[in-house]
Amino acid sequence: MSLYLKLFFESIVFAFSALIANKLRTILSLLGITIGIFSIISVFTMVDSLERKVRSSVSTLGSNVVFIQKWPWEFGGDYPWWKYWQRPLPSLDEMHEIEKRSEMASSVSFMASTKKVISSGSIVLENVSVLAVSNNYDKVKKIEISKGRYFTELELKAGKNIVLIGSAVEENLFLNANSLGLDIKVFGRKYKVVGVLKREGQSMLGESMDDQIIVPVNNAINFIDLKSENTNPTVMIEAKATIPNQQLKDELTGLMRSMRKLKPATEDNFSLNETSLLLNGFDKLFGVINLSGAFIGFFSILVGGFGIANIMFVSVKERTNIIGIQKSLGAKNSFILFQFLSEAVFLCLLGGFIGLVLVYFTSLLLSEILDFEIILAFKNIITGLFISLVIGLVSGIIPAYFASRLNPVDAIRSN
Amino acid sequence: MDPILKLNAISRHYKVGAEEIQALKSVSIEINKNEYVALMGPSGSGKSTLMNIIGCLDTPTSGEYFLNGKDVSKMEDDDLAEIRNKEIGFVFQTFNLLPRLSALDNVALPLIYAGFNKQTRIDRASEVLAQVSLSDRVHHKPNELSGGQRQRVAIARALVNNPSIILADEPTGNLDSKTSHEIMALFEEIYKKGNTIILVTHEEDIAQHAHRIVRLKDGLVESDTLNGQRIKKESIV
Ligand SMILES: Nc1ncnc2c1ncn2[C@@H]1O[C@H](COP(=O)(O)OP(=O)(O)OP(=O)(O)O)[C@@H](O)[C@H]1O
Ligand SMILES: [Mg+2]
Repeated sequence: MSLYLKLFFESIVFAFSALIANKLRTILSLLGITIGIFSIISVFTMVDSLERKVRSSVSTLGSNVVFIQKWPWEFGGDYPWWKYWQRPLPSLDEMHEIEKRSEMASSVSFMASTKKVISSGSIVLENVSVLAVSNNYDKVKKIEISKGRYFTELELKAGKNIVLIGSAVEENLFLNANSLGLDIKVFGRKYKVVGVLKREGQSMLGESMDDQIIVPVNNAINFIDLKSENTNPTVMIEAKATIPNQQLKDELTGLMRSMRKLKPATEDNFSLNETSLLLNGFDKLFGVINLSGAFIGFFSILVGGFGIANIMFVSVKERTNIIGIQKSLGAKNSFILFQFLSEAVFLCLLGGFIGLVLVYFTSLLLSEILDFEIILAFKNIITGLFISLVIGLVSGIIPAYFASRLNPVDAIRSN
Repeated sequence: MDPILKLNAISRHYKVGAEEIQALKSVSIEINKNEYVALMGPSGSGKSTLMNIIGCLDTPTSGEYFLNGKDVSKMEDDDLAEIRNKEIGFVFQTFNLLPRLSALDNVALPLIYAGFNKQTRIDRASEVLAQVSLSDRVHHKPNELSGGQRQRVAIARALVNNPSIILADEPTGNLDSKTSHEIMALFEEIYKKGNTIILVTHEEDIAQHAHRIVRLKDGLVESDTLNGQRIKKESIV
């Protein structure tokens, strides 16, 4: 056994010195594998990073929050929209009712949104998302405030002209000057800035908080039509710490049905949405992207593999004489086989490694440019090296076998 | 005494297209330990073919071949490789050194296949290189050595594993006559240490170093005689 290991090690040393001796050819033959590994692992890395981002975006919604909305969060081709479009929208009253009657909710909030023109002095921003929220929105959504404070309960109830603004909105309107206590105009009305939201960065779920402003819903009813589909009114309910979502949903179903006086036989005319539904949809999407990445990568790797096999055949041809000499001195077939196989594997691993290094630097560069963190995960490094290893074995085995079976007399004679 | 090597009606045929070439028709030879045999014959008579079979590089089409009492004519590749490694020391006309390895590494090569560790390999290879008076050239690559030096490296490599037989196929064929004589003197020394040597040559004066001269013609043994001249010389000494 140890003798075998020793021989194996010697084969690798042999292979290595052959590669060093043919540097240029080595580099050229690596290229195919490098490109293959680069394309496959960069897709995986991209998808992983997107997925991580989506998960973190989704997690800002809260995994233990149920959203009562008209439309369910579903994906897929056979979305039965005709069943949903006549449903009533959730209302502020329903929110208050739930807040009063629910045993399992820790906080309940209402939210609707619209797009409005806002301005400060001569600076005008069009199409800014205005969120109209009720009490407890900060608890359900876990928003963080970098400057100032959240609305007080009294302010919310009274529907004061006050506003929280996203960090990008602040930058755009106030050009980085302090905005706290100043007024902005929303749809022509004056609102006092009481707080600035902490920078969130790019969000995978539509618009980032950075580009939004938040006003009390009791104020916003003056210019937002809560009966309009377009404002997407939503009641958000966060479960108490020990309550599983399903239990909360069961309770909410009961409450909603009784509030809306549905007969036992009729279907629910509301949807109880959860972030896990979103994740399911994204999982499917990422599965498809990953698959197509693997598919593209597979073909580039295939080309790379043929390149390696080709270079190995050339290498065997060129060293036929030496193979013959080695055999005449007592090298066994397996020694020659290992020697060429390890050469191919080494080549592929090296090619794969270079591909991974390229992915790494590309990810650093893109992270800089895109304002979105792309990370080459350890898992993907291992995947890349493993693929390289397999390609090395597959593309090396035939040339190596061919070399190992050479007839020593013929091999020595060739030159 | 049992012969170290016994060939029994060995034949070797090659198929070239539809034609069959009988490189060896039927060769039977016995060679004892510490014999010094010269193999002669016209070009194409089958000398190299016979050497390759004796050296276990090739297997006969028919016939039996016993090496140290073992029937090697029907062995598999791996067993043959082991015999080549342990029992045979090959010296070629074209030296056949690995161009990128130093003299030392070339000599140590058979020890790698035998599974010796690095230190043993270096020690043993240096020792044999000293035997062929190349201690001052151990780290030279083949292209930094003269023809005679290369052949001495090759001889050191053949000796390194203490083989039963040294096979040399026209070892002086690529050397000038002065260097040839140095190489022959080296073979003489090796022979005196108790080795068995089989040497292919075209030159009568080279053949005169041997005890026994086997002449091949058209794949058959034409004559197999003791070298009277040499034996006479020895008895005088
Ligand atoms: N691989 C082969 N395929 C076909 N024919 C071969 C092969 N090897 C040798 N022969 C033929 O076998 C015959 C004997 O060849 P061999 O090389 O043994 O001769 P030789 O006595 O060594 O000649 P030389 O003195 O020129 O080296 C020749 O006719 C040669 O053409
Ligand atoms: Mg010959």
